[in-house]
Amino acid sequence: MLQITGLTVKYGVGVHALQDASVDVPEGAVAAVIGGNGAGKSSLMRAISGTLGFHAGRVVEGSITYDGRNLAGLSPQKILRLGIAHVPEGRRILGEMTVLENLRAGGAIVRSTRKRVNALQEIMDRFPILAERRNQRAGLLSGGEQQILAIGRGLMSSPKVMLLDEPTLGLSPQMVERVADTIREVNASGVTVVVVEQNAAMALGVATDGHVIERGRVVLSDSAAALRDSPDVRRLFLGGDVDEGLGLDAAPASLATLTRWSA
Amino acid sequence: MSDLIWKRSGIALVAVLLLAVPFILENDMLGVAIVCLAYAVAAIGLTVLVGVGGQLSLAHGFFVAVGAYAYTVFGSPKGEHLFGFGLPPLIAAIGAVVVAAFAGLAFSPIARRLGGLYLGMASLALVFIADYVFQRVGALSGGSGGRMVPAFTVGGLQLSGFTKHLWIAGVDFGGMQRLWYLVLIVAVLSAVAALRIVRGRPGQALQLMRDNPAAAAAMGVNIPRAKSGVFVMSSAYAGLAGVLIALQAQTVVPHTFSMTLSLNLLVMIILGGLGSVQGAVVGAVVVNLLPAILDKLGTSGALAFIDPTGVRGMSGGLFSALVFGAAVVLVLIFEPLGLAGLFRRAVRRASITRAG
Amino acid sequence: MLETLLQGLSSSSIYAVLALGFVVIYKGTKVVNLAHGSVMLLGVYVISLLAPRLGFWPGAVIGILVGAAGAVVIQFMTNAVRSKDHLVMTIMTIGINVMIAAELTHEIGDATVFTGDPWGNRSLSIGGSSFPVSRLMALIVGSVLIGVIFAIFRFTQFGVKLRASAVDAETSSLLGISQRSVSIWSWVIGGGLATVGGIFLAAFPANGLDSGSATLAMSAIPAIIIGGMDSAGGAVLGGLIVGCGEAVARRLIPELAPVLGDSFASVVPFILMLAVLLVRPSGLFGSKVVQRV
Repeated sequence: MLQITGLTVKYGVGVHALQDASVDVPEGAVAAVIGGNGAGKSSLMRAISGTLGFHAGRVVEGSITYDGRNLAGLSPQKILRLGIAHVPEGRRILGEMTVLENLRAGGAIVRSTRKRVNALQEIMDRFPILAERRNQRAGLLSGGEQQILAIGRGLMSSPKVMLLDEPTLGLSPQMVERVADTIREVNASGVTVVVVEQNAAMALGVATDGHVIERGRVVLSDSAAALRDSPDVRRLFLGGDVDEGLGLDAAPASLATLTRWSA
Repeated sequence: MSDLIWKRSGIALVAVLLLAVPFILENDMLGVAIVCLAYAVAAIGLTVLVGVGGQLSLAHGFFVAVGAYAYTVFGSPKGEHLFGFGLPPLIAAIGAVVVAAFAGLAFSPIARRLGGLYLGMASLALVFIADYVFQRVGALSGGSGGRMVPAFTVGGLQLSGFTKHLWIAGVDFGGMQRLWYLVLIVAVLSAVAALRIVRGRPGQALQLMRDNPAAAAAMGVNIPRAKSGVFVMSSAYAGLAGVLIALQAQTVVPHTFSMTLSLNLLVMIILGGLGSVQGAVVGAVVVNLLPAILDKLGTSGALAFIDPTGVRGMSGGLFSALVFGAAVVLVLIFEPLGLAGLFRRAVRRASITRAG
Repeated sequence: MLETLLQGLSSSSIYAVLALGFVVIYKGTKVVNLAHGSVMLLGVYVISLLAPRLGFWPGAVIGILVGAAGAVVIQFMTNAVRSKDHLVMTIMTIGINVMIAAELTHEIGDATVFTGDPWGNRSLSIGGSSFPVSRLMALIVGSVLIGVIFAIFRFTQFGVKLRASAVDAETSSLLGISQRSVSIWSWVIGGGLATVGGIFLAAFPANGLDSGSATLAMSAIPAIIIGGMDSAGGAVLGGLIVGCGEAVARRLIPELAPVLGDSFASVVPFILMLAVLLVRPSGLFGSKVVQRV
């Protein structure tokens, strides 16, 4: 569905953020893109959503196609209209505005008021926490709640693909699990998800496919299961010892505690 | 011929022309030429403040006014309703520049606290308030009617105003003619000094402060002091220009130094290229010369759409305003470095084609 | 006392309308429109040309549309700046102002521009003092307009888009909000508001506008600085402070005239503005922005 081929992204004069990167995201998948700080993950997301320009970056080589359609040179609005929503790094909640207004902003491209209102109701049904806090200033929400808001906001435009940039950054382990569940839910409802993360354990836990980026290059691409078992990945990201246990199966216990979070 | 010889002969030619101006131009155009150079001095100060120092000031006209009025007050004898100190003209002139510099110093704390747009707005407020003060304090300014400016005499030689007849090469070498040389010398010296400052350490410090205050502070630039310093310098230049304007006009009226003057000065430096001393001079000459030339041509009927009385067409001033407004828009869109930028590009292209 | 209050309120509403025009443009584009006065004069001039033939109300509507259109033209010009630097765009509005002012001065010349408004020089008697009907209308229309603008900001989708873009342009783009569309509509609203303000400025007791009247709009700048440049509420509050402050100063003038002179009332707003800038540069309600120095 989403195909990135030989992508090279530059910022300014000499800085290559991505070099000859190729990632294939099949429809319905959850693709994890993992790598350390500054590996080029965010650049990949920005290139897809057309927002490199805001950071003085540009695509120098390669192509991004979505459903066969080349995304080169399209405005962020156009790309969103095609069905790709980008939930940016750091959540970028509009703190001064209420939760409700943030969601409405997310529905900006939805032309029909009825559709927008329906989408709003749907999101609030799905994420009761948002319904509960709908008139609160978004800046007052906790980190985890803000991430849910950011995802809900992204869903307002009924996208077919959702790009999540470091959704678990700065969150407590319980919230990390909550976000992971949310991703699974979203994917189950028919949205293809690309998750970019430093937290490889979480990302590979929800993903179907995985890609490892290091210093602007895609060094590994495989199914998530294969990557989970790969000794290289384990060493680099998952803390070494195979037998240590990564908490990927810990879902049931944490889910019990997390019911507190949804209304 | 080598570049150096081109450059040197160019400068020599310009120098000869400048020295010959009083013999070429009539009194009215000579007056315009003097005004051009006087405002060039002000423009140089402003371009250093805005272009090099990165401080947007819409109040430059105010500092020019300070210089003009300070000179008048210092140099005039005490009148019935007017302030005056009766100082000799040279002292009065120096005092005027010092007062203008102090005014800049007084405003600089505001400049230190604010930046960018907010500083521009604050300077706007300053101009409006100052305009009121000048109109109001008649003892200072002579009210809206203005007051007379004492002529500039140094060592018995009178250099402005009405003088005894002195015939040189068929030209009545009066106050205006002599004033030209005074203004020329002052303008050249100011330009050279400004170039020294801009190209030297102060200029580098200012540019760093403008582009990257954190880096500048890290490198030991005392930012508050730098900001104050550049304000003082530019106000001093403005004050100096004010003295020269006063000498040329022989009467000072508050009307001359309104908001329009500040905006005109801004136009001059934008057209010339922000931060360029040479650009400021060229900008000042163009902005002040064009209206006068247009009016002259209009009266003589050579240009159908120009009519100083505004009946058949626009006055030279109005038409020039139209042109300059459009020029500012074009410059800001296409060549932010103004005429200086265009010139530099042309020179580079010329030397490339010559080398190739 | 009542007279002063009413005077203060009605000139406050004119200031508020003008200030709101500035603020909407600033919120949408981060540009301070220093050509606001010229846009105002342009709109009023068009009304003065059309009203005699078409009647005041059609003339006013067209004039307001022309003001809005003129503002959009300014938007196109500022948008052409490659660096998208807001300060450069603001400086450009200075150049644009010079152009429009020159052209209008040429067209208007020495004449005075009248809108032919239906309130003429009639006055109402309120509580013992006579009050111009036009000023009362200014108060009513101004308040209604302010209410409408606030409603647009809070309740409509456009309002959400505008406020989102003002807070975070990049994220707003990500959400599909066209910065270009927000920018253009901000200018449209700003230009329209400028013309409306001009209509009331031209009305009784003033005697129309002349070619120098464009600078009157600048008197609204203290209002936006005091209130905070990106706060609509601040613009209204600023307008109140400036308008009432001016009215009070005018009231006190007979006592202070020997010392302060007649035009002191119009300087008071700027003194207040400087004071606010020194103490709270972002105004009473503005959001603190990290200013590029």
